[in-house]
Amino acid sequence: MLNIKTIDDASINERVYQLNLGPQHPSTHGVLHLLLKLDGEVVIAADPIVGYSHRGHEKMAENRIWEQFLPNTSRIDYLSGLIYNQGYCMAVEKLCGIEVPERAEYIRVITSELNRISSHLLGIMAFVMDIGAFTPFLYGWDDREHVLDLLERVTGSRLTYCYNRFGGVRNDIDQEFCDGTRRFIDRLRGRFKDYHNLITENIIFIKRTRGVGIITEETALEFGVTGPSLRGSGVNYDVRKNEPYSVYPEFDFEIPVRKEGDVMARYQVRMAEMEQSMNIIEQALDNLPEGPVRSHVPRFIDPPAGDIYFAFESARGAVGYYIVSDGTRVPYRIKVRTPSFSNLFVLTRVLPGNFIADAIATLGSIDVVVPEIDR
Amino acid sequence: MNITQLPFIKEIYGFLGHDLTATVTGILIILVFVPLNSAFLVWVERKVAGHIQLRPGPMEVGPHGILQTLIDAVKLMSKEMITPKLADKFLFWLAPIIIIIPAIVCFVVIPFSPLMQVREMNVGILLIFSFSSITVLSILMGGWASNNKYALIGAVRAVAQNVAYEIPLLLSTMSIIIMTNSFKMSEITAAQSPVWFIVYQPVAAIIFFISTTAETNRAPFDLVEAESELVSGFHTEYTGMRFALFFLAEYTNMFIAASMGAVLFFGGWHGPFFPGLIWFVVKVYILIFVIIWVRWTFPRLRFDQLMNFAWKFMIPVALINLMITAIVLKVL
Amino acid sequence: MRSLSGLKEYIKEILTGSKSLVIGMGITFKRLFMPIVTVQYPRRKLTMTPNFRGHIEAIYFDDTKSHHCVACGLCVRTCPSHVIKVQGEKEKAGGRKYGQKYYIDFTKCSLCGLCVDVCPEKTLTFSHEFELAYLSRWDGVIDIMRRLEAVTK
Repeated sequence: MLNIKTIDDASINERVYQLNLGPQHPSTHGVLHLLLKLDGEVVIAADPIVGYSHRGHEKMAENRIWEQFLPNTSRIDYLSGLIYNQGYCMAVEKLCGIEVPERAEYIRVITSELNRISSHLLGIMAFVMDIGAFTPFLYGWDDREHVLDLLERVTGSRLTYCYNRFGGVRNDIDQEFCDGTRRFIDRLRGRFKDYHNLITENIIFIKRTRGVGIITEETALEFGVTGPSLRGSGVNYDVRKNEPYSVYPEFDFEIPVRKEGDVMARYQVRMAEMEQSMNIIEQALDNLPEGPVRSHVPRFIDPPAGDIYFAFESARGAVGYYIVSDGTRVPYRIKVRTPSFSNLFVLTRVLPGNFIADAIATLGSIDVVVPEIDR
Repeated sequence: MNITQLPFIKEIYGFLGHDLTATVTGILIILVFVPLNSAFLVWVERKVAGHIQLRPGPMEVGPHGILQTLIDAVKLMSKEMITPKLADKFLFWLAPIIIIIPAIVCFVVIPFSPLMQVREMNVGILLIFSFSSITVLSILMGGWASNNKYALIGAVRAVAQNVAYEIPLLLSTMSIIIMTNSFKMSEITAAQSPVWFIVYQPVAAIIFFISTTAETNRAPFDLVEAESELVSGFHTEYTGMRFALFFLAEYTNMFIAASMGAVLFFGGWHGPFFPGLIWFVVKVYILIFVIIWVRWTFPRLRFDQLMNFAWKFMIPVALINLMITAIVLKVL
Repeated sequence: MRSLSGLKEYIKEILTGSKSLVIGMGITFKRLFMPIVTVQYPRRKLTMTPNFRGHIEAIYFDDTKSHHCVACGLCVRTCPSHVIKVQGEKEKAGGRKYGQKYYIDFTKCSLCGLCVDVCPEKTLTFSHEFELAYLSRWDGVIDIMRRLEAVTK
């Protein structure tokens, strides 16, 4: 095997050819352009080229008032729309010193964890589809449909929610939602057995994923990887436990960690995280307090001048909002730190030396959402 | 002999003789049967895939979507047949033709029933194997002539995979052939009269089915046209009717593989009440259903794992099976 | 002996592997006979939940036999996509304004709900209409006052 690690060295060798795992491809999750230099079937160098879905969210934030940025937050990462929504509201509430009623916090946690389950279902099953099994993808979407129906009952939308407001949430949940959620959790627990039999125990899947695409702990910490990709490499870091926010300290849940750092470890971490999310939802439903769901906030808020960095955990990793306010109704700067951006560039270190098939499996297991990379 | 008394046919019959007329008629029936069979199989695959995935499959065109493939064929015929600018024009044109003709030729020796076999050759099985190896050539031509890196990777993988899986295929078939001492398909079918060969040779049956799944490039061995990795493998650049020919050839190859399996292991046209033809068709379609079922269940193997599987597992087991069969036959 | 234990590992892997494959096939076979979950849309329609966000419409109030819009312009200023246009008129000087025309461009509306929340008269709400296909872009600009009149007549 050739011992060439960077692209500049690779261009000297004559056998190496360049392949565009291009913007239009059935298995890059979004418009991701991965420039691979290959020798036969072995990857010599990998270079992600981002920017195909840049929509200018951060620029839009500078021309809108604080409330008008709420729809934008859902569309940065459309699979964890509620979590980003919640994070933005919490950041601005922390900046202004707005108090949120207890019931609203619990509702935010329940809906965010449901959103996390639906995002993990899609991420895991899309990864399994990249490996070649087409049916678990559709089984996962069947379960995801139930989550989307539950969230539609509460918020009214299925994918891009604009449900959180400054000071709470928009409307209350009803008893039917709570019963439906409990039924859904029981159903999903039964389905996990099917998933284990169909995917996790399958010898072909094990051979494709064990020992493949290993991200070592040092590499992960060096590139700033967060989320299930980091926890699959042995580092126990989750923003919900290390820098707790909202009412997460009141719940009793674990953070699944695996040591191997290969594709199978990340897959198992995601499956276990779904289990923990279900635990959180059950505890939240059991202890749901009564009260208002939105505190009284002026129609258009006036935050004081200053800046704040607020971090929270989305399905992909640690997200950060860095908000700079100059005292007016329009923000001065909102910067979003998205986890997919850091997670993606780990591929430049991990892919060389692997086959193309492993490259696709690794890319799928990191669970990248491309619009999040180029906001 | 009443049909041959009709005026037009009587002349041809008198000119060609009995054998040749039967052959020509058989070939004409096959030429009609092959596209119909492929169209039906495409519909079956889409419906079975749909129901496994909890969705209905095609439902709009015709009752339960049965005319869907016909409309797809019309659509494909109406598309423009693009040749890439720097492609090798002759090979690009030739590849779809070469993939379909051997598939149709292989139908000549398949015994559909005791009387319905177009031509009975002494080396029937050998003919099928040799003609189905030509498809590798066509895949390589298509992949190379497309002037597309994805197609080339797919074609190169196809050559290695097909060559590697020919060997267990032949070895498992040899175990059956030394039991019947004949290459003729009709004699092998006739020799399964009380007991089917799958009872005597279960290991050879399993190896045979895995090998034919690999030979016809179906999942879990479909790296050649792996949709998630190489956009469409060797037929990325083909459009219109040429793509339809590749598609047709895949399903025809599946039919041939399943009918060989039925003849070698499941007794061909033997069966209690119904005529032989119906039993044969039922057995073949059940085997095709199993192939489709396997496709939609398993992920695909990585390329080096696939080659390891062929050389390190299938060939030793097939050889051991052949040796044990030979020893048992010599002793008994 | 190392080679013998290697052989045992090999055989054990084959057996567990084949068992996992057969179990997997059993699961998909079972699903083949379960009912499909797809709702075939034009033939069967689903009812939406009460909170569903269809396009915006005006609520009918009994005291004015129409809407309560006073053309204050808060929704115009709140909309992130700038799709609302309101025009009102006063019946007499010093009296309240009454909204006459209210245009929303639904080709750009993102259904965020900020206009519904910010209205002081609570005259807007989400409808349950989602079948919005037009033949030209300007069909998407709807006057919801006229729509209310057409619906309540």
